[in-house]
Amino acid sequence: MSRVHVTCTINGDPVEFLCDGGQTLLDALRDEVGLTGAKEGCGTGDCGTCSVVMDGRLLCSCLVLAAEAEGSIVSTVEGMADGDDLHPLQQCFLEGAALQCGICTPGFLIAAKALLDRNPDPTETEVRYGLAGNLCRCTGYDKIVRSVMDAAKKINAGTGDHH
Amino acid sequence: MTVRVHLSSNLRGPTDGIADIKGSGTTVGALIDDLDHQYPGLGDTLRSGVSVVIDGLLIAHPQYHQLNDGVQVFFVPQSAGG
Amino acid sequence: MTITEPKPSYKYVGTRLVRPDGLEKVTGRARFAADLNIAGQLHAVVVRSPHAHARIVSIDTSAAEAMPGVKSVITGDDFPAVDSSHRQYDMCVNVIARDKVFYEGHAVAAVAAATLKQAQAAAAAVKVDYEVLPAVLTIDEALADNAPVLHSHMLTRGAEPPAEAASNVAAVTRFSGGNIEAGFAEADIVIEREFSTKPVHQGYIEPHACVADTGQDGYATIWCSSQGHFNVRSSTATLLGWETTRIKVMPAEIGGGFGGKTTIYLEPLAVALSSQAGRPVKMVMTRSEVFRATGPSPSTKIRVKLGAKKDGTLIAGDAYLVYSNGAYAGAGGMLGAMTVFESYNIANFGVEALDVVMNTARSAAYRAPAAPLTAFATETVLDEIAEKLGIEAMELRLKNAVTEGDLSTMGFPLARIGFVECLEAIRSHPHFNAPLAPNQGRGLAAGYWFNIGESSSATVNLNEDGTATVVTGSPDIGGSRASMALMAAEELGIDPHDIRPVVGDTEAVGFTDVTEGSRATFATGMAVVQACRNMVVELRGRAAKMMEVEVDDINWVDGHAVYVGNGDSASGSSGDSAAKESLSLAAIARKAKRTGGPLTATGSLEAHGAGPAFAVHLCDVEVDPGTGVVRIVRYTAAQDAGTAIHPSYVEGQIQGGVAQGVGWALNEEYIYAPDGVMENPGFLDYRVPVASDLPMIDAVIVEVPNPAHPYGVRGVGEAGIVPPIPAVANAIHSATGCRIRDLPMSPVRVLEAITAGGASANGS
Ligand code: FES
Ligand code: FES
Repeated sequence: MSRVHVTCTINGDPVEFLCDGGQTLLDALRDEVGLTGAKEGCGTGDCGTCSVVMDGRLLCSCLVLAAEAEGSIVSTVEGMADGDDLHPLQQCFLEGAALQCGICTPGFLIAAKALLDRNPDPTETEVRYGLAGNLCRCTGYDKIVRSVMDAAKKINAGTGDHH
Repeated sequence: MTVRVHLSSNLRGPTDGIADIKGSGTTVGALIDDLDHQYPGLGDTLRSGVSVVIDGLLIAHPQYHQLNDGVQVFFVPQSAGG
Repeated sequence: MTITEPKPSYKYVGTRLVRPDGLEKVTGRARFAADLNIAGQLHAVVVRSPHAHARIVSIDTSAAEAMPGVKSVITGDDFPAVDSSHRQYDMCVNVIARDKVFYEGHAVAAVAAATLKQAQAAAAAVKVDYEVLPAVLTIDEALADNAPVLHSHMLTRGAEPPAEAASNVAAVTRFSGGNIEAGFAEADIVIEREFSTKPVHQGYIEPHACVADTGQDGYATIWCSSQGHFNVRSSTATLLGWETTRIKVMPAEIGGGFGGKTTIYLEPLAVALSSQAGRPVKMVMTRSEVFRATGPSPSTKIRVKLGAKKDGTLIAGDAYLVYSNGAYAGAGGMLGAMTVFESYNIANFGVEALDVVMNTARSAAYRAPAAPLTAFATETVLDEIAEKLGIEAMELRLKNAVTEGDLSTMGFPLARIGFVECLEAIRSHPHFNAPLAPNQGRGLAAGYWFNIGESSSATVNLNEDGTATVVTGSPDIGGSRASMALMAAEELGIDPHDIRPVVGDTEAVGFTDVTEGSRATFATGMAVVQACRNMVVELRGRAAKMMEVEVDDINWVDGHAVYVGNGDSASGSSGDSAAKESLSLAAIARKAKRTGGPLTATGSLEAHGAGPAFAVHLCDVEVDPGTGVVRIVRYTAAQDAGTAIHPSYVEGQIQGGVAQGVGWALNEEYIYAPDGVMENPGFLDYRVPVASDLPMIDAVIVEVPNPAHPYGVRGVGEAGIVPPIPAVANAIHSATGCRIRDLPMSPVRVLEAITAGGASANGS
């Protein structure tokens, strides 16, 4: 089977890879590009562990074909920190103990960033609905929601602003 | 040395339902041997899947646990967890 | 936080250290099992039974072997035969079926090929000829007189008189105390109710995964996601008939377990495939495989009868519990029997519990296994007694709650426990008297879990710069590395940031049992403390040499060897006088070469005295009378942690348990087609709670230290999942007047109950 050649931008870097026609973006990121931050919790669009942002849209990379990434701009969890400077969400997740096992964390961080980009000052309810596509089985969501709200405050106060 | 023994209610088949008995031994293993002499079959009941509680401490594998004078040994089923 | 017992004040224990493994996890760099790739690796998939119950007539792998890229194909025949009397028989034949399959999804063969696609294609080409057998899919079917018997060797354990014929009842457990007839005769009120529950899944977000590589020398290395890598090693060795030393297991980061990763599924298959192919083999389950072939909880039918005096004193209790553990024997019923009446003083009681088998996936432990379901029964019947007697639910519980010295169901006096303290913490919480809106209701429930000890090992290595590495054998499933660092910091007297806690592989640290039974911070914490105390003995000796004084004149204070002698022998000629009074750990570590060599100490122990944990929850729901939809509007959970080493992760364990319990109460269930095929093996149709389904969960940590642990730890991982089901059920009753006794309390069921005018779904 002939492989598809894809050129795109991932976390600011130009990237080229080859993929199968039927391969998902998630598999291509993990197996062809070597970025394993996005996880496969279900493969059917139901858990959000594979969340990435493509051309400004939050999506489940398990539901997107890798070939569709041609010419696009993709952001994954690996691109969230600016060198050693963590994104305020990452910092707040750490300080707020918003992760236990941590398998859901990359997806939540990406989804939360997409939420705050859209709505910089969300209410608790908005955070809960904004993150309802991401499953966490460890935390009961309490500390995740608090950490996202803390990060929003930090960003709005300009103390954690870098993106 | 003689110690007091209490069997949890699921372990009393060989004693015909008696809960509180006495036995002797310097370790829990020796105690079980003695109890088996008194109540044939009780040894098998107490040797696997059974823990003891002594002085409030739950001990899961008590065979060689030393017994002191005056203690009471409670035999209980082993628990598990997730 | 409620502190109920005086305890020493600690410098580091009880602080909220940023977890040492956190940075890797928020940057996406932490390596979970499926993130590992090894040069030359093959990909393998499992061939699974489409039938719930069948005899395997033959397996033809020839077509699969001939397919492109295929390097090895294995079946049950590639493993040594295992006799049904073997202690791990069930685990062995569950990993790969031998002559029979016992549930849809049971592994019958596995195929390794160069690519995943090739492996999938070849797996589809494995021809299995089945003789389909009638399947047993419910508890009633399993117990029916003419039921097909799953295991011809299964004689009921504990049967009186001893069982002579095989049946689907694996075991019967009985407990009793006092005189049950007399007890009920004395009661002013007697309430008896029946309950039923379905299997639910632990629902860890990371599917099972491993990579195995068998070398030319016949030694294998496994990287995997597990709650216990030493158990992976021994179980894999058992299945393969190998010596334990031939297998090394490297613990990857683990993406949740909750009991479901205390057993194994893939690793022996991967090793066998790798041995045959001479290449590393990677295996990752799909979500559907996780649902169909790995550890759901048991399903149950429970009958509980309680009798009380007018003043609320419980006087008699009778329970009949049937737990189905799926395809193989399990301990659900026994654990249920040990928990059903454990929280309350009931002078006269009887419990009979059956463990049965049926043609569904073999159940695995799920957080406080069995206890949430007995709590569902006992705590809702209690609620009804309180209602009928006109006594407050809280008062009824306080009146009957067990305290230190009261007798356990198993007959021994309980050590110091914190049940009453948890009840009081809830009673004094603002939530307790907060007003409710229309269609809202409030439910109270309590829960209990034993916690366990088991074996743990730790090694402490002091580095040249005065930092320390703490190696343990406990996979860190919810932040335990942070707790280990805090306890080591407290013992050694150095900053926890100068301590690197790591999980060692099976060759890097002493044997350690599975992270289960809420034991990691308790038992492995004890091993860390022991190792640190051994290290301090060594450090005092080294300091004595450096100061030229007697070791007995040296105390260890706040990270320093401090001279406390009368000064005579400290007047040696070398060094300055300050050094004679005090030496820091770093100063001693720097000179280790000259004072006796590397500074390393170990601790290994079988932990005794696991402390029982109690939890009391208060839940407000709002029920939509038009749709039956139940929304959790407020939740407060108090739990006795003994001592909270790291409060954030104690709260996290409580909150996580609540969320799982709420899912169990309201939504989650396995749905089987008439032929035993699971109909909802995905997160779309098996709905676990999401962020918008829950409110904040106020976790109240109660601290009644466990006298058996150096820091008073009890273990907090499990008790939090016990009260939510009855708390939700009691809240629904408070909101609607309906008692629902069958899980899940889905909108359809709630609406039915409301429409029927307060009668329960099972007709009372
Ligand atoms: S893996 Fe993509 S949503 Fe679950
Ligand atoms: S932290 Fe484990 S799934 Fe979210």
